[in-house]
Amino acid sequence: MEIPNTAHNLTCYFTWMGEDGIARTKVKPGSAVKLEHAQENSVAVNSFYVDRKYPLLIDARGIRSITRDARNFFTTNGRQTNTLGFAIIIDSSVSKVIGNFFLGINKPAVPTKLFLDESNVVDWLSKLKE
Amino acid sequence: MDPNEVKYIQERTNAILDVIMAYARLDFTQKTEITDQGDVFDSIASGVNMLGEELENSVITLQEREALLQEVHHRVKNNLQIISSLMNLQASYTKDEKFLALIRECRNRIISMSMIHEMLYRTKDLSRIQVLDYIKTLTLSINSSFSGSSSDVVFEYDIDDRIYLEAERMIPIGLIINEAVSNSFKYAFPDRKGIIRIRFTGSKTHFCMKISDNGIGLPETIQTEEFESLGIQLIGALSDQLSAELKILRKNGLGYELKFKIQSR
Repeated sequence: MEIPNTAHNLTCYFTWMGEDGIARTKVKPGSAVKLEHAQENSVAVNSFYVDRKYPLLIDARGIRSITRDARNFFTTNGRQTNTLGFAIIIDSSVSKVIGNFFLGINKPAVPTKLFLDESNVVDWLSKLKE
Repeated sequence: MDPNEVKYIQERTNAILDVIMAYARLDFTQKTEITDQGDVFDSIASGVNMLGEELENSVITLQEREALLQEVHHRVKNNLQIISSLMNLQASYTKDEKFLALIRECRNRIISMSMIHEMLYRTKDLSRIQVLDYIKTLTLSINSSFSGSSSDVVFEYDIDDRIYLEAERMIPIGLIINEAVSNSFKYAFPDRKGIIRIRFTGSKTHFCMKISDNGIGLPETIQTEEFESLGIQLIGALSDQLSAELKILRKNGLGYELKFKIQSR
């Protein structure tokens, strides 16, 4: 996933809105994500549009860890969000375990799916916009 | 396999196992190290750390709930004791024997319930109490409330100490025992001497409780249905609450036998 120059350069993420109306966020390699990082990312994601909801593509490859508070925050349970659904790209290491936690334990309030590469992600997220 | 590789595998495995053991002891201060390697050990370590966080949260939630429940039982018991004390205070303004007897009956009923809440918050298991412990404490309390003028009434117990019941059923059981034992104290022993027997046993499917005395019993001419004392009416109503089969025993004194299912509805 190529990071455009316009992306928000956050503590643990690069976050931007794609031309296709899908928000994107990419974890910086080796990030240990805490609640404040999750909140910082959420502010950036929710800033793209005020009156429109959109799907979010999360590239979690390279993540080192994520605290429980941050996981719970990302589920969006009990808070306002502009996100229609999450597609999480994982690889075969730590991100795979974290991704599966989001499906099994810290379940998001919006549709969520794990992907091993980028090929089908945009198709799936585009359907959420319909 | 390269000896360095073997050493690495052993070290990482041991570190992860140490943390799992710590979590098993409910020590959540430890975390497994996640390195820059991003290998399978880091994946496992990451999963173990996150499971530890979830487990810690569940344990805390459970402890908070227990503390809250304990507080509720404590408050209920305190409130019941306040009601009982207020009745006592009211009783001190009168010398009317009938009124005093009514107050005593009411107080004993309240105490039988407050005792359950007291036992529940004092024990680790906040949902069930030991039947033997409760019945002994309750009967001791009833005995002392009736022994203003000393009596020679002896209690005999045959209660299975393995039986524990939840408050929902223990409250009607306590009230039944209170009524039956109070009736024995009031009517069964004109010379204030006698035995009150309480049996509480369980079979595979049912509990059986029998409360009996060796007192003068009911006169032959009185049919059980005609006996209008509130005590017996209450015993009937409380038996219904337990879905129990109630038998009134009129041989060598007066007694009550209740049979009810082990599994509550």
